[in-house]
Amino acid sequence: MEEIKDTLRAFISEKFEIGDDPDFTDDVHLFNEGFVDSFGAVEIIHFIEQTYNIQITQKDITLYPMNTVEEIAEVVDSKLS
Amino acid sequence: MMNSAVCLLERAAEKFGGRTAFEDGTLSVSFAELRRLSRQLAAGLVSKTRTGNLYPVIVYLPKSVKSIISFMGIMYAASPYVPIDYAIPLSRLEKTVENLDPSAIITDAAGAENLKKINITTDVLLFDDLEAHGADGKMLEHTLNSVCDLDPAYIMYTSGSTGTPKGVTVSHRGVIDYTEWVIDTFPITGESIIGMQSAFHFDNSVFDMFAALYMGAKTVIIPEVLFMYPEKLTEYLADEKISVIFWVPTVMISVANSGALEKIPLPDLKLILFAGEVMPNTQLNIWRKYLPQCMYVNMYGPTESTDIATYYVVDREYGNHETLPIGIPCANMKALILNDNDELCKVGEQGELCICGSGIAMGYWNAPDISDKVFVQNPLNKYYHERIYRTGDLVYKNGEGNIIFIGRADSQIKLRGNRIELGDIEAAAAAVDGVKSVCALFDEAKQEIVLFTETEQEINARKFKMTLQSYIPKYMVPSRIITMEKFPHTPSGKIDRVGLRKTYIEGE
Repeated sequence: MEEIKDTLRAFISEKFEIGDDPDFTDDVHLFNEGFVDSFGAVEIIHFIEQTYNIQITQKDITLYPMNTVEEIAEVVDSKLS
Repeated sequence: MMNSAVCLLERAAEKFGGRTAFEDGTLSVSFAELRRLSRQLAAGLVSKTRTGNLYPVIVYLPKSVKSIISFMGIMYAASPYVPIDYAIPLSRLEKTVENLDPSAIITDAAGAENLKKINITTDVLLFDDLEAHGADGKMLEHTLNSVCDLDPAYIMYTSGSTGTPKGVTVSHRGVIDYTEWVIDTFPITGESIIGMQSAFHFDNSVFDMFAALYMGAKTVIIPEVLFMYPEKLTEYLADEKISVIFWVPTVMISVANSGALEKIPLPDLKLILFAGEVMPNTQLNIWRKYLPQCMYVNMYGPTESTDIATYYVVDREYGNHETLPIGIPCANMKALILNDNDELCKVGEQGELCICGSGIAMGYWNAPDISDKVFVQNPLNKYYHERIYRTGDLVYKNGEGNIIFIGRADSQIKLRGNRIELGDIEAAAAAVDGVKSVCALFDEAKQEIVLFTETEQEINARKFKMTLQSYIPKYMVPSRIITMEKFPHTPSGKIDRVGLRKTYIEGE
């Protein structure tokens, strides 16, 4: 789980040019707090689908919130186990 | 005869009874249940507050079947319904309440908590409490009979150029005529499944709700989160066997660009309507290529025209250099194109599109001055009162008799289907601490709003955007913020907007 979070943080931070902003925590709302725009959501999903070789379905998106690093990591973790 | 738009529900409950009407992932109601629940809510409303054409009721709920029950209930209680975005900044909600002077706000527990943070005296009623009432059939019949079809059915708030939202007031007649036109014109049946994208505070929602009631079709409220993920959204359309969609082009563009249409077959989809902004042919052609069985319709209409005023059924391939027409007026609507001298334009001559007919709004709620500027006497008619709505949209008519949209005559813009007055953004930004002066411009090529601010100190763009989000809806928050110590000015002392645009937007 920690490893997934680290990988996610590194990807998001680089992709969306966040740098070392102290507000970018594991439970900050990435979209509401303006770290990632709505178009970026797709890129995050693509990244986890490819990196972990998993399928995120429309039902997953509807049922599980994926707005924070923590939440996204949880979904990845549950798909892997 | 139908004296209220809610008569469409009366009729649907009788004709289609136990068939599923609306679904939102949590709640699913049949036409008969929707009628029962709406009437219960109406009884609760009548017992707790004043209702009638002058007593609008706000619905401040998440996008759900409960919202639809509320709208119908409010109409049963003879009041206009007022859908408010559940994510609206509270300061904006306060302004809306101030303008509207509603008799009540229907909300849930979390919404009621939010409302405590603002300074309003309106009654706050919980949806669940209102549903705890039994409906007195006689009383409700009497209440519904008191409505006439020129009373307002709903009031929808839209961006205003001075920072105060305008409440577009639409009659029952407008809704009923619009719905009948939809049904007469498009292949919607009792077997149709409508995939609803529109938020309730946007006028496209009138289509999803009332067309379904008329034909006994099922409407599925698509979970909002899916619109961030075009591929998953397409997967959802397939899983739910959606056959009719009426979406803003932004969503259709993102689906086309995602490549999902190539991968995911959508054999059930039959009718695709779009309105709210210009639909580019490149993406439309991708849809047409993978889903040739569908009927595609480009629709046009400001909120002031009960959703739609003109439409064009796409009957051939359009090349990238061509403009997709907005077509011809809907039934019971007329379109006049007037030049600067208020004379009818000839074919090919550019002018302002003015519309009249049963669908045009009754004006802006509690705002006679701004209403009088755009809802005016038809200058071509000196014989009797005939109100037209001046849209501010520049158009011309082509040789085939189709109207072609060119652009705006003022600083109103369309961004991802949202209608925005740049002045609305400027008013919000100017109120932020430390800001001396502001100027908002639209970058047409990148489809983004650029905000210039004159401040003494450099500002953190992300934090500034967050501050703005507490005054204006998220879709209005500029993508780029450019701060400068001093704005360039024109010789007459105004901010040099043309210069700013040349240097920072076109010069890149």
